[in-house]
Amino acid sequence: MVMLRRKTWRDIRENFGVYLACIMVIALGLLLYTSMSIAVESMDKAQQDFYVETNFADGFITVTGYPENKVNSLTFLPGIDQAAGRIVKEVRVIDQQEDSNRYLKMLTLNDANAPQINQIQLIEGQLPNENQPEILVDPKFLAANHLSLGDSIDVSIDGNQVSLYITGTAQSPEFIYIMRNAQDLYPSAEEFGIAYVPLSTLKALVKEKGQVNDIVITLKPGVSFDSVKDSLQAELKPYGVRSIVPRKDQTSHAILTSEIKQIRTMTKTLPVVFLGVAAIILYTMLRRLIEQQRVAIGTLKAFGFTDREIVLHYLTYPVVIGTTGGVLGGLSGVALSFPLTTMYKEFFALPGLKSEFSFKYLFFSLALAFVFSVLSGVKGSLDILRLEPAEAMRPPAPGTARKTLIEKFTWFWQTLSSQAQMGIRDVFRTPTRSLFNVIGIAVVYSLMTVSWSMQNMTDLLTVVQLEQVQTYDVKLQLTEPSPTGAVKFALAHDAGVSKVEPVLEVPASLRSSWLKKDVALMGLSEDSTLYNILDKSGRRLEVPDHGVLLSEHLAKSLNVKAGDVIYVESPLRRETLSQKGENLLVTGVVPQYVGLNAFMKDTELQRFLRQGEISTAMLIQMDSAEIGSMKSKYQNASNVSSIESLKDTGAKIQKMMESFGFTVWLLAILGGFCGFALIYNASIISLSERKRELASLRVLGMTPSEVLRVITSEQWTLYAFGILLGIPMAYGLSMSMAQSMSNDMYSLPADLPPMALLGAAAGTAFSVLVAQSRAYYKIKSLPYVEILATRD
Amino acid sequence: MDVLMEGKDLRKHYRTGEVEIEVLKGINFQIFYGEFIVVLGQSGSGKTTLLNIIGGMTQASTGELYYKEQPLHEIDDQELTLYRRNEVGFVFQNYNLMPNLTAYENVRLAVEIAQNPLSVSDILREVGLENWSDHFPSQLSGGQQQRVAIARAIVKNPELLLCDEPTGALDIQTGIQVLKALQKLNREYHKTVIIITHNVEIAKMANRVFYLKDGLLDDVKIIEKPLCPEEISW
Repeated sequence: MVMLRRKTWRDIRENFGVYLACIMVIALGLLLYTSMSIAVESMDKAQQDFYVETNFADGFITVTGYPENKVNSLTFLPGIDQAAGRIVKEVRVIDQQEDSNRYLKMLTLNDANAPQINQIQLIEGQLPNENQPEILVDPKFLAANHLSLGDSIDVSIDGNQVSLYITGTAQSPEFIYIMRNAQDLYPSAEEFGIAYVPLSTLKALVKEKGQVNDIVITLKPGVSFDSVKDSLQAELKPYGVRSIVPRKDQTSHAILTSEIKQIRTMTKTLPVVFLGVAAIILYTMLRRLIEQQRVAIGTLKAFGFTDREIVLHYLTYPVVIGTTGGVLGGLSGVALSFPLTTMYKEFFALPGLKSEFSFKYLFFSLALAFVFSVLSGVKGSLDILRLEPAEAMRPPAPGTARKTLIEKFTWFWQTLSSQAQMGIRDVFRTPTRSLFNVIGIAVVYSLMTVSWSMQNMTDLLTVVQLEQVQTYDVKLQLTEPSPTGAVKFALAHDAGVSKVEPVLEVPASLRSSWLKKDVALMGLSEDSTLYNILDKSGRRLEVPDHGVLLSEHLAKSLNVKAGDVIYVESPLRRETLSQKGENLLVTGVVPQYVGLNAFMKDTELQRFLRQGEISTAMLIQMDSAEIGSMKSKYQNASNVSSIESLKDTGAKIQKMMESFGFTVWLLAILGGFCGFALIYNASIISLSERKRELASLRVLGMTPSEVLRVITSEQWTLYAFGILLGIPMAYGLSMSMAQSMSNDMYSLPADLPPMALLGAAAGTAFSVLVAQSRAYYKIKSLPYVEILATRD
Repeated sequence: MDVLMEGKDLRKHYRTGEVEIEVLKGINFQIFYGEFIVVLGQSGSGKTTLLNIIGGMTQASTGELYYKEQPLHEIDDQELTLYRRNEVGFVFQNYNLMPNLTAYENVRLAVEIAQNPLSVSDILREVGLENWSDHFPSQLSGGQQQRVAIARAIVKNPELLLCDEPTGALDIQTGIQVLKALQKLNREYHKTVIIITHNVEIAKMANRVFYLKDGLLDDVKIIEKPLCPEEISW
């Protein structure tokens, strides 16, 4: 059917604008699909490969001190395959600048005779020599601090100042995503890095001899971590076990895995939205084409073309559009996967992470485009089968001319201009097409709303967290739980300090039936004003005397609500054999945007731990001018783990929020483009359907903009219905987006403020206006005399 | 003469909007091989409906229709399509050419589905358009467009050529050119030609004239000496 193919090609060329817009929508959807799929697959593969190559641990244990020579005996516990002990020390880098906050986490390298768990991969340079002050650092720390191999770094270890020489860079599976702790939210390679040092070197520098403070284990095949946790807990209890963390909760692994999961969700949802909009455009376009070419179809039928041949001919339009969009989207997606993977490499130090040309995703993207376009094409062209050739040769029978529903509101109807009445009537007289356009606009609107609300969510999160929840100026973290009185007393007398509040944060396992979550249990004083727990409407809540308050995300993870009872255990609890933990009443569920915590009154938590009046951090309200001197006074103190001002925390939260900016803008721009394509298509259809009417109006003496009102009134009506339908859709999308982007580090509030709804309505209106401006030029150049001279 | 087609008590009613109309109210006729028939009648008399039924474009609501003794009223859509493909050529008042295919390509379109097609170039030469084959319909005059339509209809080498007001949109000079092409087909290629028109002058070219009135075959007139197109005027 060479001639029919030529006809298709020339038809497409005539209305290239609309077809191109549709191709672009498909291509955009598949660009996202292909690039994200390739990136996520390479991330997944690189993660798995790296874990296998380096024998990544199944469990991570921190203890006060465990005899080095006993570590191997842990393998006698059922289920444990290998165990390796290490010394891990977080040390401050000594700088010229006194209040700077640069830290290195020093880990001892595996002893040659010990099991090789979490092996490092040497990236450049050479391994440090035993007993020498030599280290390897992670490449990001090296680059961010403008260091080179052979440079030295001065650090303070257990009160001793030591110069360590960098012999190379290395990467460990444990620190693919490097953060000092889960509360940090965002990696800062300049301020925090990882250093690997020979065991013999570090042993000589630390106080504790013959002991390790960190143990990593691997499990025998098929053994679950939970089944070995209790025996480990019992074995390590006398040695001051601080935490026993399964691989799934290990910070770097958890973040990487959650990122992979999040991208996977996006690869499944975003393309469907775009292809859905494209399907609506293709469907309405094809319906119009078929209506327009009714006589041509009749002629083909009269000549003996079979229904199959004619339907296949009309299917070539969506297939050509779909395939072109698929090829463009697939190829550009493959191309985009390279910079996208590079961007992920900025965050995740995965040695094997690289993008590759993928025939698989190119094929999938083509197949997706093909399926969507054929489905919309089949739906759009089925009427051909019902059309009898003789009937096709006649103009379609006029539709039933009844008053539309809206005309019954005469007081409103009378106020409309004739052009508006024409346009609005058409909305109701082509209900299927109108419905599809309304759905399309609703989708575009909800995408834009989510974009606006995400901006709002991130602003809200920052403002609430930094101005209402964390109202302290400085947080001083202690290395271990310490008696409250002495520390508080010392700090209260420092210069510029106006208030000191102790906080007790302890690792705890919360359990409800089979659901379990390891979190930090936070004990706050009754009159705490430097850390506030807020309810949904932002009012400050008193910490209850008994029981525990859970954050929303945590309550959801445990599937509990206020009034339920959960079982709580903590490695810091001094327990009797029969009382490992305690059942505690959930007294309330509260929103928490940063962190994942359970809250108790400090006295109640101290009672639970049976360790007396202790705390792990101090929240300080003070004169900002004195913060620098406080930092320099305490940052080398052996019992101070870190001093962080709220300004530092704010900068990190801000940085994390900025990382969402890309997604926010991408959604807004892509949503806007979809809206433009949808309305542009609707305009072109209206123009071609009504060219005789519009030409008559021009002959009557109306200006192009007066004539345009027929089309714009139809479109603004569709827009209004689209927005109405879009509001509930936006709520749904916003909730699921917030949920999918929330993790154990932060929860995005699923809030849709009026500003987001209005902003998105304005954004959608803008894309409608842009599309209408194209229609205006078409009307302006309408050859109305010729149109009226020709017969239909 | 052998009977090519026979219609018995053909009736047709259909719905336009909310109104049901009976267009044909029981028509009986015979058409012989190689005949030139003109169907005359006022607007709404059922001419086009009858032509559509003869051409397999639609089926009668009741009645029987035989083509080469095969019952067309009993066959399904697929067989009806094959009937149109292999036996019938259509020429329409508004030409119905594909606007974005050239004259040559419009004719070639029909060749692609024909069992025993003629040469496109030969046919275009026959209708005097050999120098216009690269032109799109919008670049041709009405008469030229109608001749392309005729070429497209006959290139399939059909037995039956059905023309619905073939000169309706043309001036007299151009109309005569088109009628000459049709008569040539009938006389030289022995094709059966049926023309529907309300132009009584064209009826003078026919072997027989069917007069349709209010959905009934009112009269059939035999013309002993059909005229040539040059001999008629309107």
